[in-house]
Amino acid sequence: MKPFLEITAYVLPILYFVTVWLYARGFFSDERLADRLKTPFLGVTLLLHLLYFIIRTNSLHHPPITSIFELMSVLAFSIAVAYFYLETRTSVRGTGYFILNLSFFFQLLSSLFIRNELDVKPVLRSNWLGFHVTSALLGYAAIAISAVYGFLYLMLYHEIKASRFGVIYKKLPSLEVLEGLSFRATLFGFTLLTIAMILGVLWLPQAFENYSYLDSKLIGTLLIWLLYGGGLLAKRIAGWKGRKMMILSLSAFGLALFSLSIINIFFSEFHTFY
Amino acid sequence: MKLLFNIGVSHRTAPIDVRERLWLSEEEVRTALPKLRASFFKECVVLSTCNRTELYGVPNGETPGVDSLRKFFSDFKGDNSYVRSEHFYLHEDREAARQLFRVASGIDSMMLGDVQVLGQVKAAYLLAEECRTLGLLSTKLFQAALHTGKRVRSETKISEGAISISFGAVELAGKIFADLHTKTVLLIGAGKTSELTVKHLRSKGIRDILVSNRTRGKAEELVQRFGGKVVDFQNLRDEVHIADIVISSVESPSYTLTANDLSYVMKQRGSQPLFLIDIGVPRNIDPESNKIENVFLHDIDTLQVIVDKNLVKRSGELPKVERIIAEELERFLQWQHTLQANPTIEGLRSMAEKIRQQEVHKHQNRFRPEERENLDVLTKRIVNKLLHGPISSLRYGLGDQDDETRSLILAVRKLFGLAHRENPISENVGGDDRNPDGGS
Repeated sequence: MKPFLEITAYVLPILYFVTVWLYARGFFSDERLADRLKTPFLGVTLLLHLLYFIIRTNSLHHPPITSIFELMSVLAFSIAVAYFYLETRTSVRGTGYFILNLSFFFQLLSSLFIRNELDVKPVLRSNWLGFHVTSALLGYAAIAISAVYGFLYLMLYHEIKASRFGVIYKKLPSLEVLEGLSFRATLFGFTLLTIAMILGVLWLPQAFENYSYLDSKLIGTLLIWLLYGGGLLAKRIAGWKGRKMMILSLSAFGLALFSLSIINIFFSEFHTFY
Repeated sequence: MKLLFNIGVSHRTAPIDVRERLWLSEEEVRTALPKLRASFFKECVVLSTCNRTELYGVPNGETPGVDSLRKFFSDFKGDNSYVRSEHFYLHEDREAARQLFRVASGIDSMMLGDVQVLGQVKAAYLLAEECRTLGLLSTKLFQAALHTGKRVRSETKISEGAISISFGAVELAGKIFADLHTKTVLLIGAGKTSELTVKHLRSKGIRDILVSNRTRGKAEELVQRFGGKVVDFQNLRDEVHIADIVISSVESPSYTLTANDLSYVMKQRGSQPLFLIDIGVPRNIDPESNKIENVFLHDIDTLQVIVDKNLVKRSGELPKVERIIAEELERFLQWQHTLQANPTIEGLRSMAEKIRQQEVHKHQNRFRPEERENLDVLTKRIVNKLLHGPISSLRYGLGDQDDETRSLILAVRKLFGLAHRENPISENVGGDDRNPDGGS
């Protein structure tokens, strides 16, 4: 099955790229054909991606969570699935271009550096880890989507304020819808991150001898969690609305991205299995 | 003589007072149609809207002149001294059909891409049907026009986007709020545009309407028309926070709502988005208010930007619309030409069959009885092969000009010695017989 994995690793970023291109044509150029094809094309891409995970897990005897590049592929998939779900449920048909760019980016990185290794550290074969990583990744996918809708909100907000009424104005759903989507995604992401953190903290003493709760990765994650928690509280208690909330959501996502990449690679002491 | 004829006045040729004088109510059309048919037409349909009064018909004999039709309308409407010949436009045959297709597509309207006109064309058609002034040609013409209008609506974006200030405001409200059903609108002052905006907002689902006016009586009068509640003009500052959308058109030298007022209002609203539409001249709301977070202030100028952009977009769809019209026109003319050729095709066939039967009858005794069936088959085959060329030319090889069609038909009749007729073409077109295969 190795050849299948290798070929698919090349094909997936191409499929994501074509999907993004179709969504862009539909959004910016109003092309009917692209508009019709984009969702089925995304569906096909997702099916192939799922098949890739199944075959990978079967032939390498471990789930695709043992290296940062496997994780990125899962992240790309989670974001695209979450968007696919949103598209079938809400009126966000036009916004796929902005979300799926993330999937393309993560899958491209993954495909460039991923290795099909059979040997992984025993600590990575734990079920605890499986749940921990899955919920953390889904949580990150959700806050990524929340950030994209936050970003779109700000673009539309400024376009309306400045009376520009361009393509963003024409194609995006209303500010209220964008805010609602961003908020729901944040809530979902926050819940999953909470679960991931609890699982991580409980599992830590079992897995490592020289662990530390003061690891930079843990502190970074806690900060992100506090930022989102604070934002949700501000909305609930102080009634924060609109632009302010969106800026908060975007900043928190920026920090999350920083934590997932920079801290993970350079600073974390024990949280570097990969 | 022309087969199809169109005469009319519209915003393109006549000023409003002329159009008003020529406007016919449904009742008037009902009376006019039989009269028109008695004097000028075999078939006729009258389309009368606020921007046009048009007549489509199949002439009885000679094409009626503008003057005689103008006289008809003068007599019909009483005084028509304002109406002059140059207010009318005339189209014949192909151009008459094209005119109706353009009207039905909404591209001949005052508002480019008008959606109402298709319904009006349909109503005119149904009214003529009811008055029994339709015939084969006009039925097919109107069905083709309605089909064209529907295609244009579904295949192009000619009717998309608001192209009036009031609709522009409603479109913008839809980009700020997700669901207008739960929102409240406050109307300060009164005026045509602001009242239209409230009307459109209501049709989009807004139920809660507040009205405020310096003269309380006026506010009460508006409430009677729109429903809702009166808000005291003196306490406006304390009441604005209830509204999500504010439309203001007050004649006043100073601002009705200042930026300070609105900062205060936004505190009361807990920063919930507030959409302000300032239609007043000079402006009623301090432009600085737009800087307050979650306040969206728009005046006539910025709304005009939406309208202008949408108009440009609609105009960009014109080539697509013209293409659809050209296709449908081609199909209609093809049908019409085939229809014109039908009597000649029939004549050709029966002449040939008559000769064949005579000859077979004359010579059949020369053949053995068992060969006679073959003789029949063979002669039929020869006749069919000989006629195949001319009949195909008549059916499919016609040009798109009526004159071309006519001369081809006349040539065939002459060549094959078919009985000469005064007008071999129009006998099958028009008249009372309704088209049995015209359903589309």
